[in-house]
Amino acid sequence: MDLNAIVRECLEGRQGAWETLMNTYAKRVFNMAYQFSGSRQEAEDMTQEIFLKLYGSLAKFDFQRNFTAWLLTLAKNHLIDEYRKTKWERTQRDEFDERVLPQASVSGPEESLARKEIRALIWEGLNHLSSEMRMAVILRDLQGRTYEEMAEILGLPLGTVKSRVNRARIALAEVLKEKKGEPS
Amino acid sequence: MTCERFEELLSAYLEGELSGEEKREMDGHLDLCPACAELLSVFRETQEALAGFPELEPGPALMAKLYAIPEKRSLFRTISDFVLRPSLQPVYAAFTVLFIALSFVFFHPQGHGIQKAIDRQLHLGYDHVEKLYAKAGSVTDELSSLKNTVVDSIKTLNPIKGQEDKK
Repeated sequence: MDLNAIVRECLEGRQGAWETLMNTYAKRVFNMAYQFSGSRQEAEDMTQEIFLKLYGSLAKFDFQRNFTAWLLTLAKNHLIDEYRKTKWERTQRDEFDERVLPQASVSGPEESLARKEIRALIWEGLNHLSSEMRMAVILRDLQGRTYEEMAEILGLPLGTVKSRVNRARIALAEVLKEKKGEPS
Repeated sequence: MTCERFEELLSAYLEGELSGEEKREMDGHLDLCPACAELLSVFRETQEALAGFPELEPGPALMAKLYAIPEKRSLFRTISDFVLRPSLQPVYAAFTVLFIALSFVFFHPQGHGIQKAIDRQLHLGYDHVEKLYAKAGSVTDELSSLKNTVVDSIKTLNPIKGQEDKK
């Protein structure tokens, strides 16, 4: 799919072009917002705001750049700015919804329970990370971005990105270790 | 190898990005340090759990709102263009001044006194206008009597008739 052509068509107001863009990116941006905020309602609001911003600044897009990285940078900036303004970390994350997990990843009832607990602890643990660290884990481990793509999205050198991802993972592992040690 | 160095290289170790020598150093440290071995175990557990995180589908209501963004924006643009027209700026300025003045009257702690002062000024102005009106009435009377006098004088003198008689 030629994204630059779709963006051009959006700018010309061609019917269907914006819908194509939404079909391509809505799920990715919505999940990024959901994983970052931990709240479905917040994620829906943020997704709308991000795409409103995108629509408003589409004319400024430099066609020499990678559109996906540009959009994800816009999304990342919006999410972190909103987080700083409203301090989401004070609010609770939604209960981790295990029902939407792929069933193939579960091999037995006991393992299922243990994994479910660990996933729930990590889901909660994301709120214990700073916004930058949380974003690093989300982009790398949940969204599956490469380090190079992350460097472009975050506007940081490759070495800094790798080091940030590593620190964020260690921080999350420490949170998990701590939470597992807590009496339930 | 120190524990700090071990932590720094942990992701690269699991992603297979270390050189042979660095990997051997990491393995050697793991044999000697139970704390780092435990960290590695929890780190792996975290990575496995993250890999199985679900991806949610945006609901149809959200998608409908996203599809409608261009229409919404164009309506918003039309309204904002109308409201922000430069020709309306003096009107907004006048309203702002009026609201500031009214806010002094209604919200100032001595607003009642201000209202009294305004009433007094209004009454004074009204009196002044009444006096002027009365004066204007007397001037009109004077003018009409003057007009009568002038007309009478002209009739008495009748200079045109005198000239015709001479002819």
